[in-house]
Amino acid sequence: MEFELSEDQLELQRTVRAVLDAESPSELSHALADGQGNADGLWATLVDLDWPALALPSTAGGLGYDWVELAILVEELGRHAAPGPFLATLTGFAPLLAEVATPEEADRMLAPVAAGEVTGTIAVDEGAGTWDPAHVEAMARRDGDELVLAGIKRYVVDGATADEIGVVVRLDGELRVVIVPGSAVGATEIEPIDAGVRHADVSLDGIRVPVGRLVGRGDAASGVVRALEGSVTAVAAVTVGACQRIFEITNAYAKQRVQFGVPIGSFQAVKHKLVDMYRDIERARVLVYYAALTLAEDHPDRTLAASMAKAGAGEAQRRCVQDGLQLAGGIGYTREHDLHLFLRRAKVGELHFGSASHHRRKVARLTLADSGVTDHS
Amino acid sequence: MRLTYSEETEAFRAEFSAWLDANLPEESQTRQRPRSSADIPPWARAFQRRMFDDGWLVPGYPPEYGGRNAGLYEQVVCLEELGRRQVARSFNPQGLGIVSASIISFGTDEQKQKWAVPVMRADKTAAVGMSEPGAGSDLASLATRARLDGDCFVVNGQKVWTSGAHHADILLAFVRTDPDLPKHKGISALIIETDTPGLECRPFDDITGRTPDFNEVFFDDVMVPRQNLIGELNDGWRVCNGSLAHEREMLWIMWSQGLDRMLADTLTELARTPAAADEVLLDGLGRSVMDSWALRLLGHRQLARRQRGLVAAEQSLLKLLGSEAQQRLALLMVETLGPAALDRTGPDGTGAPFDSDRSALSWFDRYLFTFAGTISGGTSEIQRNIIAERVLGQPRT
Repeated sequence: MEFELSEDQLELQRTVRAVLDAESPSELSHALADGQGNADGLWATLVDLDWPALALPSTAGGLGYDWVELAILVEELGRHAAPGPFLATLTGFAPLLAEVATPEEADRMLAPVAAGEVTGTIAVDEGAGTWDPAHVEAMARRDGDELVLAGIKRYVVDGATADEIGVVVRLDGELRVVIVPGSAVGATEIEPIDAGVRHADVSLDGIRVPVGRLVGRGDAASGVVRALEGSVTAVAAVTVGACQRIFEITNAYAKQRVQFGVPIGSFQAVKHKLVDMYRDIERARVLVYYAALTLAEDHPDRTLAASMAKAGAGEAQRRCVQDGLQLAGGIGYTREHDLHLFLRRAKVGELHFGSASHHRRKVARLTLADSGVTDHS
Repeated sequence: MRLTYSEETEAFRAEFSAWLDANLPEESQTRQRPRSSADIPPWARAFQRRMFDDGWLVPGYPPEYGGRNAGLYEQVVCLEELGRRQVARSFNPQGLGIVSASIISFGTDEQKQKWAVPVMRADKTAAVGMSEPGAGSDLASLATRARLDGDCFVVNGQKVWTSGAHHADILLAFVRTDPDLPKHKGISALIIETDTPGLECRPFDDITGRTPDFNEVFFDDVMVPRQNLIGELNDGWRVCNGSLAHEREMLWIMWSQGLDRMLADTLTELARTPAAADEVLLDGLGRSVMDSWALRLLGHRQLARRQRGLVAAEQSLLKLLGSEAQQRLALLMVETLGPAALDRTGPDGTGAPFDSDRSALSWFDRYLFTFAGTISGGTSEIQRNIIAERVLGQPRT
C-alpha cells in the first residue's frame, strides 16, 4: 500500500487551496451569516475553473478524476467553510445518478452538471436521521404517463435551491429514484446553524412528474446505498477540513497569546488539548482518504471505510469544536472572530448523514458479521 | 495513492512466506516458554539463528550484518508475515531492536562482531539500562556515574525498570561520564557484561504479577573496559535517541499488530458473550476497529513519506494512538464482560506459541498491561509534549 497523495494530487490540493483562499475568504461567510450577499459569484468562479467536471466521467463531459481528487477538493471547501451548491451537486446528486441511472441517462443528465448549468441534491431521509434507504416511506404511483408522488423528505441539503432533486421513493414495491425539478416541490428551508449549508424539508404530496423522470431499472436500494457511501465520505472530508481550520486558528493563537508573561502554548494543559485535536484530525483524515480510495477502486471495504470516515470525522469535530472554542477563550466567543464559521461547518457535518455513534455501531456490526459473530443486531 | 504493494514487494513477501513455511518449528517444540524478555528458550534461539543466517531477521541490513539490503516496504511485508502467523522475531526484543541496532549504528566493527551479531543470532541476550529512580520522564538527568580511570570506566549507581537484566548477558547502559557538562552532554553509552563483579540485579514483579521481568540493577565499582564505549565519549544522548529511533519507521507495526491481536481476541470473546448486542459495546468496538485502521493507515502514510525522502513526524503520534487504543479496548472488554471479568483465570494454553502470549491473561491483567505502553518509552504526557513542541511548533514548557 502506498498511502500518501501523489505529487499531482498535492499540486491539485495547492491549487484548490489558493483558489479558495482568494474566492471564499471568511468575509464571504461572515456576510452570509449576516444575511447579506450570496454564493453565486463563488459558484460561477468554480464553474469557470471546471471544478464541477472534475470527478465526472468523460462520457458526460467530465474530467474523469476519482474520489481521491474529489475528497481533496471538498476537504478544502470545509477548510474554507465555503458556501454553495458544489457539495450537494457533486457528492450527492451526481453519485446517485452514477449508481442508479442507466449509463445513457447518467451521461445525459450529468452533462449539464459538468458544465455547471444544473445543480442538484438528493432527498433520502424522512426524519430518522440515518439516511438509511430502508426507512423510506415516500411513495410514487403511476398515473398514465405521469408519476404522482406522496410523502415528505427531511433535511435535504440545498432542498430549496437545487435545480434537480434525486428523490428516493417506493414504487410498485421497489425502491426507485425519481429526478424531480426543484421548482416543482414545496420546500421549507430551516433556519440554518451554518449559513453556508442550508437544509430544507421537501413536501412531495401531489407532485406530478413525467414517467421519464424515473431513472434506472429495477430496485435501486443497493445503488442508493453505494451512492450514499460516497456522499458520507465527502461530508466526512468537509468536516475534516473544517476541523483542520479550527486547529490552525487555535494552534496559532496559542503561540501568540501571552498570559502570565508567556505564550499560553507553553502550558501543558493547552499543549495536550492541541495534540489531541491534531491526533483526532490525523486519524480522521487517513480514514477519509482510505474511504475515498476504496470508492475509487470499488474495493469491497468501501462500506466499512465510508462509515469509519464519517465516524472518524465526527469524533474529530467533537473534540475540535469543544476544545477549539475553549482554547480560543473570550476572543473565540465573539461573532466577529472567524472561529465560529468553522465550528458551525464542523458540527453540521456531524448532524447529517448519520452521527459518529451511528456509524461506529455500523462499523462494529460489519466487523462482527465479518468475523462470524452474527447474533448481534 | 494505492491499496496494494508492487509486484516486486509481493514477490519478496512470497519468498519470506515460503521460508517461514519451511522453517517454522513444530508447535510441539515450543512448550518451553521464555521466563523474561532476555530469556530465549533453546528452540527459539535455534529459530532466530536460522532466520538471521538466512538473511530474514533484519532484511534491511547489509549482508555482512545478516540482511539483504531490503527496502522499507519489503521490511514491512516481512513484519506483516510474522504478525499474521503471530511469530516473534526475537524473544529478546530490546536486544534486537535497541542494543544490536545501536551498536550497528554507532559501534566499531569489532563491537559489531563482538556483541551486535551474537545478540542478533541469539547467542547472547541483552538488556537496556536507561531509567533510574530519579530519572524517568527526565531521562537526561540520569546519575549513574562512570569515571574513566586508565583503560577502564568505574561505574557506580543504580538503574531500575531494566527489563530482563537478570537473564541478559550484556547491558547497554547510559551513564554520566562528565557531571560538569549540561545534562544532555555528559552522558555516554557503555556495554557492560552482566557477570562483571560489582553488578547486581534484583528482579521484581510488575503489577500483573507475571514472572518478573523488571530489575533494579546496582553498580558498585564495576570496572568496564574503555573499548566497551559505544560511540564517542559524552555523546551517549545521541546514541540514546538513535537507539529509540532504530527501525522507527517500523515501530508502529508493533502497536498495530498488538491492537489487531487484541481485537481478534475481543471478537472471539464476544462470540460467546450475550452482551455482543449491546449498543454501548458496539459504539466502543466500532471506535477500536477505527483505531486499528487509523494506526495502520498512519503508519503507511509515514512509510510513503519516508520513501520519498521526507521527514515523517508521526512516530510519537503513532505511539500515543497505539498505546491508548489498546488501553481503551482492554477496558471496554473488562466493562463489557462485567462479572465474567472477575475470574482471573485467562483462557487455557497459549494461543500464540511462537510469540509471548498475552491472550492467556485475564482481561483485567491485559488492561493493566496496556499501561506498559502508555508509561514506558516516554509516557503519553511526554509524547504529547514532544508532538506539541516538535510538530505543532508550540514553545517549550
